[in-house]
Amino acid sequence: MKHTIEVNGLRKVFDQNAAIKDVSFFVKPGEIFGLLGPSGSGKTTTIKILTGELGQTAGDVSVLDVNSHLFGTADFRSRIGILSDNSSLYERLTVYDNLKLFCQLYDAPLEQIDVMLDEVNLKEARSKVVSKLSKGMKQRVLLAKALIHKPELVFLDEPTSALDPGNAAHIHRGLQKLNEAGTTIFITTHDMEEATALCDRVAFLDKGEVQELGSPDTLRYKYSTHAFHVETFEDERLVIENESGNADKIRELIANGEVKSIQSDNPTLGQIFLKITGKELV
Amino acid sequence: MNTQRIGAIFEKDLKDFMKNMMLLMMPIIPIVLALIYSRLGGDEGLPIPMLYLIVGVTFSSVTASCMMTMMAEENEKKTLRGLMLSPASFLDIIIGKSLVVGLMSLVALAISLFLVGIEPFLNVQATIGLILLFLFFLFLGIGIGLFTKSIASTSAYLMPVMFLFGFTPMIDFLVLGEDNIAITIADLFPVMQLIKMHDTNSWTSIGIVAIWAIGAALFTYICFKKSRTDD
Ligand SMILES: Nc1ncnc2c1ncn2[C@@H]1O[C@H](COP(=O)(O)OP(=O)(O)O)[C@@H](O)[C@H]1O
Ligand SMILES: [Mg+2]
Repeated sequence: MKHTIEVNGLRKVFDQNAAIKDVSFFVKPGEIFGLLGPSGSGKTTTIKILTGELGQTAGDVSVLDVNSHLFGTADFRSRIGILSDNSSLYERLTVYDNLKLFCQLYDAPLEQIDVMLDEVNLKEARSKVVSKLSKGMKQRVLLAKALIHKPELVFLDEPTSALDPGNAAHIHRGLQKLNEAGTTIFITTHDMEEATALCDRVAFLDKGEVQELGSPDTLRYKYSTHAFHVETFEDERLVIENESGNADKIRELIANGEVKSIQSDNPTLGQIFLKITGKELV
Repeated sequence: MNTQRIGAIFEKDLKDFMKNMMLLMMPIIPIVLALIYSRLGGDEGLPIPMLYLIVGVTFSSVTASCMMTMMAEENEKKTLRGLMLSPASFLDIIIGKSLVVGLMSLVALAISLFLVGIEPFLNVQATIGLILLFLFFLFLGIGIGLFTKSIASTSAYLMPVMFLFGFTPMIDFLVLGEDNIAITIADLFPVMQLIKMHDTNSWTSIGIVAIWAIGAALFTYICFKKSRTDD
């Protein structure tokens, strides 16, 4: 398999409004790929098309070498894991019974329930009724549910958007571990820090099109002015271009002991997004 | 169709049913009705129309109502999406649920009929009639369940189903004239046809109930097609 996900000229129209105009990208086996964009930019719609929940208006989509017209088959469904936005659990049943259902539906061994509960750190909640869990705990159960059949590829639609930083960090560590074990991860988020920390490559989605695509490091270098930002003890802030002619100027500042701090321009993904689209990510 | 997945849905829905007070109340309705009637019946047992009233109440308040409530809840709580994205097919999901609803209907009906006494009632013809009537109410429940997005909105559909198809024998209490149009129409309704079947031993009545069941199946199919096409 060359690419885990291939999307070419994807278009999706909802009653005359194009939510996705023309989107193309691919995801390599074993990578964590992030689709970033403000709300309403079409992230969920893209995931729904990639998982067969929605059909596309035009374009070619293939996932795990399966063409989109076969996304409804049980075989394809059992190879992917999905944590969708507003997924939910059976509130009256226990955590165990919820996971048992999906174990059976995905034909996974029941031992996986305890393995996954351990993985998301919820062993103590095994026999608790779901309605008694906190939001963060529910989200972790949903993650366990999405991964219980050891899928080759998982889709995560804003997995941490409703979580506090502690819970989010916990989930991030779990995802990194999962990825190290070989699982390809497709994640959407509007949280730039999350994307920077997790993703091997990101695509910026806006106005129904991919506006930029690359690894966070590459993008941060590409959109850097490469200038040095110097802060002196006199609270002066200097911007010095990264040019050979400026070497003496910087050397002099340092030699005179005037430099409080010095940094190269290194924009965050959020700043880059703003630069490209004129929009804040919220 | 996959028996393991059907079994998984059945197990989940059965557990959920046993913890859902609203659903658990439904089988109580025909049982209470049967208790009241059994006090009225005396030695001769209940007249056939009364027995079929209990049957109609069971199938409308347990079969149809539980089915639509369960499906509406899956829609409302967004759990249906998780099932649909799993390898389970829609048919697996519906069959698993129908088995739970069927089991509950059977239990409620057995207890109710036991309370009122069933000797003159159950023969092969009547059993076939009851199965067809069950399917009619089951399809009605599935069809409505497909388009109701919330539990609250099911009651708007449940009332007409109960009064039109469940309580049809009650129309005799309305003291309308013999040739009243309402009576003529009501006579064609499935529960009335089964009552007629007892008087005449006619298979025509079974045929008419079968047509009702097929009609309900078609209604379910149309609802299914419609719910698949609106994205
Ligand atoms: N089922 C639908 N019917 C009509 N419009 C929709 C539907 N789903 C999404 N949209 C529209 O498509 C656009 C993208 O939505 P979505 O994919 O949910 O964005 P995101 O997940 O990035 O917030 C929005 O303008 C939204 O209103
Ligand atoms: Mg979304």
